[in-house]
Amino acid sequence: MKQKLIIGFSLVLLLLVVFLMWKDFYRSKSKVQNNPFEYNIDNLKNIDPDLITYKEVSQLKPDIEDLIAIAIDKKDHIYLTGKNKVIIYKDNSLVSSFNIDSTAYSINISSNEDVYLGILDHIVIYDKNGKQKTKWKAINENSVITSIASTEESVFVADAGNKIVYQYDLNGKIINEIGKKDTLKGIPGFIIPSPYFDLLIGIHGKLWVVNPGRHAFENYDFEGNLISTWERTSMQLEGFSGCCNPSNIAMLSDGSFVTSEKGLERIKVHSPSGDFKSVVAGPDIFEEGTKGLDLAVDTKDRIYVLDPIKKAVRIFEKK
Amino acid sequence: MKRKLAIIFLLVIISLQIFNSFAIQRFPKPEFESGHTQPPTITPDPRAHALAILDVFVLVAALSVVSWLVIKKRSRKGVFWMSVFAVLYFGFFREGCVCSVGSLQNITLALFNPEYSIPITVIAFFILPLVYTLFFGRTFCAGVCPLGALQDIFALHPMPIKSWLEKVLGIIPFIYLGLAILYAATSTDFVICRYDPFIGFFRLDASFMMFMIGAMLLLIGVFIARPYCRFLCPYGALLNLVSRFSKKHITITPTECIQCRLCEDSCPFGAIEKPVLLKDKEARPIAVRRFLILGIIIPVLVIVGGFVGSQFHENLAIVNPKVRLANELLNNTNYGETEKEAFEITAFNSAGQSKEELFKEAGSIIKQFYYGGWILGGFIGLVFGLTLVSLSVFKYREDYTPNKGTCLSCVRCVDYCPVLPISNDY
Repeated sequence: MKQKLIIGFSLVLLLLVVFLMWKDFYRSKSKVQNNPFEYNIDNLKNIDPDLITYKEVSQLKPDIEDLIAIAIDKKDHIYLTGKNKVIIYKDNSLVSSFNIDSTAYSINISSNEDVYLGILDHIVIYDKNGKQKTKWKAINENSVITSIASTEESVFVADAGNKIVYQYDLNGKIINEIGKKDTLKGIPGFIIPSPYFDLLIGIHGKLWVVNPGRHAFENYDFEGNLISTWERTSMQLEGFSGCCNPSNIAMLSDGSFVTSEKGLERIKVHSPSGDFKSVVAGPDIFEEGTKGLDLAVDTKDRIYVLDPIKKAVRIFEKK
Repeated sequence: MKRKLAIIFLLVIISLQIFNSFAIQRFPKPEFESGHTQPPTITPDPRAHALAILDVFVLVAALSVVSWLVIKKRSRKGVFWMSVFAVLYFGFFREGCVCSVGSLQNITLALFNPEYSIPITVIAFFILPLVYTLFFGRTFCAGVCPLGALQDIFALHPMPIKSWLEKVLGIIPFIYLGLAILYAATSTDFVICRYDPFIGFFRLDASFMMFMIGAMLLLIGVFIARPYCRFLCPYGALLNLVSRFSKKHITITPTECIQCRLCEDSCPFGAIEKPVLLKDKEARPIAVRRFLILGIIIPVLVIVGGFVGSQFHENLAIVNPKVRLANELLNNTNYGETEKEAFEITAFNSAGQSKEELFKEAGSIIKQFYYGGWILGGFIGLVFGLTLVSLSVFKYREDYTPNKGTCLSCVRCVDYCPVLPISNDY
């Protein structure tokens, strides 16, 4: 009797399986949902005002055709560059400017106030008066130099085209390649789908490089050893999203990172270990589609955001 | 005990799958904030070429080993451990895809759609088990198919069911086979993959429906052994047909049956046929009359089945996405959505195709279903007719023998036979 009951129950269950399959295939209506292919990030553009701890205090409107890169030296001179020109400001006033031969996509000011310009595949060095000092040999035809940082002995060049950081000596000789994939050393390799690849020398004198495809920050010593890394992937404020973010970075005096993103245009501050701290500026103050929000920080921890669409440098101070 | 150990071992392997989450991704997985729910996985990522070739070698090796264990060694223990291997390799490691069961859809699609390029691996996975079955019976089902192997491990308290019920339920795989071929041939869907009951366990990723069906079948399988293989598997239906012509098939007794009846209830799949004595044979005039009646009934069933199938062609075709879209546009029903335009319609409007072109295309698909409905219905009618024949026609046999069609070559029955094989040592 018990056996018959079990078999009967099992058979009913078997017929139920067949019925469920039939019903699911022929009778179920497709689950109506929002367009799954729609790229809608509107909700993410709303930021809690309490999290915005900076305010925009002023803007610079430089006379330059394409505004692309910004750097600030130790004396708080603001260097801007773009198409055929370098402009220098101090305390919101124009100090000087000089012409260059082509478009510079990156700029760095060395400790002796030399101006390093990244001209696609090579570096050109000017003094602060606009006199060209030297021009280094082009790297190769794939090269796209997107960021430069320097120390007393070396110059570090982020090359988005070759997906590598080149370490130069001061004579323009490549002495090391940093960040090449090396599983034995735990170096994952840079993923750079678009020409946004930033680096800086941190307050402790170590090299920090963005690995935008991994939404990661990687810390290297000058021998190219990976010291530490952090990554944050999130559409929320806690991290970075899309194919490749953050696009640009800068560092505050306490070692915190200032980051800018494209796609979801926002400027944020992350702690040295990567935790989200606060928002500098949300997407609402930028034109949709703004890319290349280059960043710089002065000695008073004011944050300078280069807005290439509005052709302005927007200056933020802590509230 | 052995089976329980195997179940524990499998559970440990399933839990090890969690470590996949630590694998490094090239790009971080995107988050969807628009309410989009990620569709469940139907097919895994393409397999590396070298691994695909390895899979074919492993398949050949596994089929050879199981066939040897079944036909030569007659070892249930060996077949059982091959089942465990099949679950681990073809199930968990290969994530169950492409499997021989699903491959018949790829073959069908390749035959009917010249634009579809079928990988050689898929052809191998379809053909090889059929070839081995033709020589050795359903040794593929015995210990190579991961779906069967998983159920076999769960067959803890198998109970026999009535022979007529077994035959009636045995029609379902043929209906499923017909539908799977029809939908693959019309490029509508791969229904076997859609309702693969155990793939979700192998990948730890499936729709709720797939997990539920799998869990229900495993529960049923505790008492009615291998329910999917016996009452659903469409590839099993093909193997059933091919196995009837197998050159060498497992026998219960290694030499001569002594009619001890020890094996009578040993098969959990009800695949042992009892001896039918000559005295039970019906009178010749009755047999001739039955033969004539069946000779009329079967063609009638085929024609009636074909006609009924053709009448349902629109119902069958409605699951085709293009037919469904045309239907929604024609009736202006917007997929039942009232508040906004359904995204399928938005996509159609964005694609630039005219409604007339779509209707023409849908009409052509419906016509295919009309002919497909005739063939499907006729095929089902034929299966009904042949089942009727198998239930009513007298077959004389002296010994307890496995039914070559339904026997899964699991070798359970062999252990019950007290007859020892003739040894050459004497």
